[in-house]
Amino acid sequence: MEILNKFGFDPIMLAAQIVNFLIILYLLKRFLYKPVFKILKERQDKIEEGIKQTEKAQKTLEEAIGKETRILANAKKEAQMLIENAKSDSLELARQIEENAKTEVEGLINEAKAKISLESEIAEKKLSEHASALATSLLKKTLQDEIDKHGQRKIMENAFKKINKK
Amino acid sequence: MVSFAAEPIFFLGNFAVTNAFLDTLLVDFILILVVIFINKKMSLLPGFFQNLIEVMIDGFYNLTKSVAEKRADMIFPFFVTFFLFILLANWTGLIPGLTAIGIREEDHLIPFFRPATSDFNVTFGLALVSAVATHGLSIKTLGIKEYLGRYFSLNPIFLFVGFLEIISEITKVISLSFRLFGNIFAGEVVLGTISTLFAFLFPLPFLMLETIVGLVQALVFAMLTMAFMTILTTPHSEGSKEVSH
Repeated sequence: MEILNKFGFDPIMLAAQIVNFLIILYLLKRFLYKPVFKILKERQDKIEEGIKQTEKAQKTLEEAIGKETRILANAKKEAQMLIENAKSDSLELARQIEENAKTEVEGLINEAKAKISLESEIAEKKLSEHASALATSLLKKTLQDEIDKHGQRKIMENAFKKINKK
Repeated sequence: MVSFAAEPIFFLGNFAVTNAFLDTLLVDFILILVVIFINKKMSLLPGFFQNLIEVMIDGFYNLTKSVAEKRADMIFPFFVTFFLFILLANWTGLIPGLTAIGIREEDHLIPFFRPATSDFNVTFGLALVSAVATHGLSIKTLGIKEYLGRYFSLNPIFLFVGFLEIISEITKVISLSFRLFGNIFAGEVVLGTISTLFAFLFPLPFLMLETIVGLVQALVFAMLTMAFMTILTTPHSEGSKEVSH
């Protein structure tokens, strides 16, 4: 005991220090460690969630990119098909137009030919009529004095017959 | 010369308010400031100070976890509180000028503050808290039967071992309290002596040394407490299992 007194041992002070420390222990436990652990846990949760979300977003992004390429490929294919269709259609159209034009031209030509032959026929007829009229008048004028009326008629008839036979 | 006992500054009735006790209050004040500050500014995006506290607490928790495993949650508050309290008590004595202000009495100065841990009452109190808490946790985790089985047995050999255990428990308290007290008190004496030899620059390396001693002693006390707690809360069966593999 003597030695303890030398060290300044004082039961009241000892008790005071113990109480003091216990109070501090409680305060730190309640108001320092607990909130710090809580916030550490919260942060960890948040970071985990963030990582998870990032992964999810990455996945969605990849999916979207895949979809995009697929859509683009489809669109390309469709566009190609459209172009090809248009090409063949236009070729067909051109061919048809050409054919139409050909037939039309042929028709026109035929028509013109027919018209020409008809006209030439008419002209020929007219010419022959004209010629026969000219011939009769010529014959009439030349034969008027030489042959009688009966003879005239006969000759004329013969002449007509011969002309008409031609 | 610094006296062994903490010098009373004034009296509150019968209670002598010593300079070591004032230093204890200073430590309390600092710790409470930290608590208030942390609680006020706590956020998910930590500032510098919060980060510091978080790193420290997380680091100590991991250390406790590596030693005590699943009993870490129980032991951790004691471990860190001992460390912080003792560290601040040790270091407050090193604040330049703080121990130089006081009452002049006859031929020597009685400073208003002296490191709390250079008062035997404080270190002895801490050691007692450590011991009682250790045994309390032991009873809580192991149950009274297994706890008493460590000290009392019908087998005479184990009874003797138990007797040694009881003595070792008492020595633990003594060694914890005197180690801390001795180191810090000696540091005070050294600093006081050196300062009287030459007050400028000369004490600087010793101040640095005492800073390290203060940290180491705080760590030693806290680590020993943690180790004792871990040992005494480990069930016999689990302990033998740990040895066998």
